[in-house]
Amino acid sequence: MGDPISAIATTKASDAVSRRDASMTRVAILMPARDESALAATLAQIRDRARELGGVTVFLVDDGSERPIDARDLPATIADFRVVLARHVVNLGQGAALETARELALAPGAQFRAYVTMDADGQHGVDGALAVCGAIDDGANVAFGNRFLGASNVPRGRRAVLALARWFDRLVTGLRLADAHNGLRAFDRQALELVRIRQNRMAHATEIKMHVARAHGLRVVEVPVSVRYTRESLAKGQKNAGAALILRDLMMQYLFGDST
Amino acid sequence: MTIAAALLLVLVFGLVVFDWFSLRGKNRRAILLELFVFLAGAAFIAFPERATSLAHLVGIGRGVDFLLYPTVIWLVRESLLSRRRRVEDQERLTHVVRALAIARAEEIPPR
Repeated sequence: MGDPISAIATTKASDAVSRRDASMTRVAILMPARDESALAATLAQIRDRARELGGVTVFLVDDGSERPIDARDLPATIADFRVVLARHVVNLGQGAALETARELALAPGAQFRAYVTMDADGQHGVDGALAVCGAIDDGANVAFGNRFLGASNVPRGRRAVLALARWFDRLVTGLRLADAHNGLRAFDRQALELVRIRQNRMAHATEIKMHVARAHGLRVVEVPVSVRYTRESLAKGQKNAGAALILRDLMMQYLFGDST
Repeated sequence: MTIAAALLLVLVFGLVVFDWFSLRGKNRRAILLELFVFLAGAAFIAFPERATSLAHLVGIGRGVDFLLYPTVIWLVRESLLSRRRRVEDQERLTHVVRALAIARAEEIPPR
């Protein structure tokens, strides 16, 4: 496979909204969450800038939080900022929650101009969402965020693990992305329909790229975004040692993935 | 009888007794099967020369190899089957949990 990835500059959202289809201005944000203390703040940021995105519907999936998300703790919804809340009664993993959000967002009747996957812990800002949406508005089918081109405070240990992950993902997917496991991505509907996530835990990032690579002809771009690491996100988020679990999950899918 | 053989016999009978009482009458047929297999194992532990003569009959040098080869093959197969069942069970659980989540999903009304 060639190198279909090209870094593109952040697009101004105001230009972007009407470029693809004026009848579909809203953006769907697919957001898994589990016991996220920064959830309300993250949603408040999105609400405050929802108009810049052309209106937002957040598909929020509570992945078996010990203290289930209470709608009353979330920012009030407005016309430009809607929230659809779904709950997994037990914890399945981030990949499973993303897939639930994907199925909700692709339900018949719901039309969005872009579908953005975004973490709930505050690592991803609205600027990043605007950037990846802008790429979709400019004609890309899939836009992956690249934290190394943005103003990100990536810890040194995480950089090393991500370098290994980048090498591994290139090997198994053929996609030459500079940022292997960035949760900030955007898809158009055509691309999202092809990305059925079966990896319940963290291996879904590699799996998504596998789907994108297999669907020849998709225009894939990488977009500079900023990822903000906080003490909480580092403590709760993906651990460096999780790389071994990702490899195990990918191997299990390789061996038994077609068994059901 | 060697010390190792005696210890192995104690372990085998200990496991059978433990399983018999811990299951308290449940899965009697499975326990009987376990008993049968363990008794055969105990016989080979107590009389290793019998296992060796059986091994020679089929062209294997040592009695322990005669038992080890099929056991390893069976364990590898059992491990793969059990992992496959786990993957299938996980997919079924995911399907049920997701179906429930989607059926109950609701849009938060404006306040």
